[in-house]
Amino acid sequence: MLEGFRSPFDATVVELLQRAGARIIGKANCDEFGMGSLNLHSAHGAVVNPHQPPSSSRPWEEREQRSAGGSSGGSAAAVAASMAHVALGTDTGGSVRLPASYCGVVGFKPSYGILSRWGIVSYADSLDCVGLLGRDTTYVGQAFDVLSQYDHKDPSAATPDTRQKAVDALNTHAKDWNFASSLQGLRIGVPQEYFPSELDRKILKPFRSVVDILTSLGASVIPVNMPSTPYALSAYYVIASAEASSNLARYDGIQYGLRVEPPPGSDLTKTSKIYAHTRSQGFGSEVRKRILLGTYALTADAFDNYFLQAQRLRQLVRQDFDNVFRMANPLKDLPPVSQPDAHPGVDVLLHPSAIRTAPHLPSPADEADSSQTDSLPSYVQDVLTVPASLAGVPAISVPAGLAEDGWPVGVSVVSQWGCDKLVLDVAKAIEQHIPPSSS
Amino acid sequence: MQDAWTSDLSEPSNTHVSPFDAAFPGTLPHLNSRCVELGVRTAIALNSQVHNRSAFDRKHYFYSDLPSGYQITQHYAPFATGGTLQLQNAGKRVRIHQVQLEQDTGKSTFDSRRHISSIDLNRAGTGLMEIVSEPDMRSPEEAGEYVRTLQALLRSVGSSDGNMEQGSMRCDVNVSVHRPNEPFGTRCEIKNINSVKFMMTAIASEAFRHIELRNRGLPVPQETRGFDEEKAETYALRSKEDAPDYRYMPDPNLPPLLIDQAYVSRIREQMPELPNETRTRLMKMGLSARDADVLMAVDTGREVGYDGELGQGAVAYFDQVAQERDAKAVVNWITHELLGQLALRHEVFKDNVFSVTQMGDLVDLVQTKRITGTSGKTILRHILTHRSNEMPSALAAKLQLLVSTDTDGSALEEWCTQAIEAMPRESEAVRKGNMNVLNKLLGHVMRCSRGRADAQAARTALQRLLAQ
Repeated sequence: MLEGFRSPFDATVVELLQRAGARIIGKANCDEFGMGSLNLHSAHGAVVNPHQPPSSSRPWEEREQRSAGGSSGGSAAAVAASMAHVALGTDTGGSVRLPASYCGVVGFKPSYGILSRWGIVSYADSLDCVGLLGRDTTYVGQAFDVLSQYDHKDPSAATPDTRQKAVDALNTHAKDWNFASSLQGLRIGVPQEYFPSELDRKILKPFRSVVDILTSLGASVIPVNMPSTPYALSAYYVIASAEASSNLARYDGIQYGLRVEPPPGSDLTKTSKIYAHTRSQGFGSEVRKRILLGTYALTADAFDNYFLQAQRLRQLVRQDFDNVFRMANPLKDLPPVSQPDAHPGVDVLLHPSAIRTAPHLPSPADEADSSQTDSLPSYVQDVLTVPASLAGVPAISVPAGLAEDGWPVGVSVVSQWGCDKLVLDVAKAIEQHIPPSSS
Repeated sequence: MQDAWTSDLSEPSNTHVSPFDAAFPGTLPHLNSRCVELGVRTAIALNSQVHNRSAFDRKHYFYSDLPSGYQITQHYAPFATGGTLQLQNAGKRVRIHQVQLEQDTGKSTFDSRRHISSIDLNRAGTGLMEIVSEPDMRSPEEAGEYVRTLQALLRSVGSSDGNMEQGSMRCDVNVSVHRPNEPFGTRCEIKNINSVKFMMTAIASEAFRHIELRNRGLPVPQETRGFDEEKAETYALRSKEDAPDYRYMPDPNLPPLLIDQAYVSRIREQMPELPNETRTRLMKMGLSARDADVLMAVDTGREVGYDGELGQGAVAYFDQVAQERDAKAVVNWITHELLGQLALRHEVFKDNVFSVTQMGDLVDLVQTKRITGTSGKTILRHILTHRSNEMPSALAAKLQLLVSTDTDGSALEEWCTQAIEAMPRESEAVRKGNMNVLNKLLGHVMRCSRGRADAQAARTALQRLLAQ
């Protein structure tokens, strides 16, 4: 749809990186319009996960071909293959954290509104975040410091006041902590709902070792409940598809991008009938599917049952996070209602980033039967990442070593809105005690 | 903020377009705070309630002059609701339902000969205000008065120049007919009418169409219709069944619009005078209703500048000249002489070079009888022609137009004697009693005196001299 299109302006995040002296080495592959979890839906073909088990000595062509994850699979692969220190991605429902987990790199989705979206091709505006992928938390932290700036061109950007409020609140809360020596005082919640039946048991061993490391460093690890989590996936797909159907309405073959002329004899009585030729040909199957779903969710008949219902669920998911965290949400004016009999809350959440290690790329035979790769499991993969997207809170996936199959496992650290520094610090603590996993 | 771009009508097509207006990927909307201010001014003028919190929604449809495929509007929570507009002639108040902010689309022009649509995105993305009234108008005339009154109000607060033919103001009209004591009939909406005259014609023709259908025992189907200006009749665009589903959705980019009471109060304090107030004030100063209306109607629409900057209209000009002067005399000089001369020259009031100080000086010269009215008009013409910035008093001296300090009447005597000598035949006729010819002699006197002579005194002097 946008083949050959060149934007007349740079994204704010690109401008900021260049101004800070960064060298942009190239553009990375991704799922079309950010829609996909395996980076299969791309005009450029699938991204191959560059990770190899350390024991492997076979030549490249003969090695196992696994997915780099999606949608920002190319960015994760570029970092994993040591082509770049840091790569940008977009994370709407896990598109940075999931590839990071599959490729064994750090993937960070900051709080919604912290990094400017100006210049980002919108998929679902209320969920889209610029994310960072990097070899380690130090690189990611440095890039984050450069990019974390208010941009008036982004109407959903957190104002300087709100940013300051969040920083002050975190500083006050963390005044007695000294992560350099121990994690004494840090309360870590493990949400029970993030271990669905689809979760591969192979993930658990590396996850448990992370829990052990954190406990040995002095942190308290506490089981918590986030009862609305099971609804998050369906709410996410309704909201994301609805916004996508709206945001992608602009690709119509009039102003820029692909244009397919209606063949002679076509019905030209309505504008939409002329657009249909361009849109049917220009969009890939996954994008078409989500546009159709989203369009339906917004029709007068479906709006209440789908879109509004999904918005209500989103509120519940947000509420789960506000209930479980000790720190108040700086975006809310009122302090949280204290529940005397409830536990005092946690500072961060810890859970596996994905339900499994990187899946195999489909062989040519599988691709003939494309329904296989599009079926429910690829959506279920998002179940662990979309709640943080719906709530707009910061989440980072950090490598937790290798599973029995020799492929990387990531764990996610999630915190209250505006506690971006805290998730980076906890991720760093994990990173320092996990043996390097890359080949 | 630099991105509050409003295009000017004089600009060539598609020369004032930002990437956002053309819906380029990666662009995001930005609310123009000036639009909010002008909207709030309008809402205050209409006595509407301005809400603390309102929000923006997307209205989806595919049309080639809508590059993003949706229009950002305020569907679920408009920024102002309620209010009224007083109609002077109809003697009634029309209730306002709501006022909302939205985005303008581009403009498409269809060339039916070549079968090509041209699209101009200059105005795409510009702030637009939609004012929805209640069904309170009962005739095309009332609807016409409503639109004209609204135009005057919008101009006075600077929120629009109200020029319908240029598209700065458009209206959609709903028409229904019903018998007395029966509920409203089915309504039809006529879209995009671009003049008050066409609107009144469209309403009348639409009402007659409904009456005819009912007289034939047929139902009026609910429809959206267009208006054919040449045939002076409406035509069906789409039926209720074909009505598009706009798939309204809250805009996920723009945060809610929060307007606090302090902001509303500040705008209320800085509100320009509304048309009703201006009219009342002018009439209190001694102007007739007609004079007030003429003054207020001067160049309407042309005095609203970029982003609602209020220009120096004729009322402001009058107010300045009339300070410590006879308002009646001042308004006569403005409406009769100055406007008359401008009209002759095909100039509009905005282009007027005759300054407030010049006008003040001129009125003083005439009022104190230092020059005659005729000389005053000569000076006015002279200044307009030469685009001069000289003061009328200086010009009067230069052009020898000052009324002579002819205290003993000797100058007048002299001019009259000259006239009689110069026109012996006419003088003879007057002596014989043909008084009509006296005017010719009088004309000679006025010419000799360059208009300085008092006509009545000259007539008496001529009669006296001829009777000798």
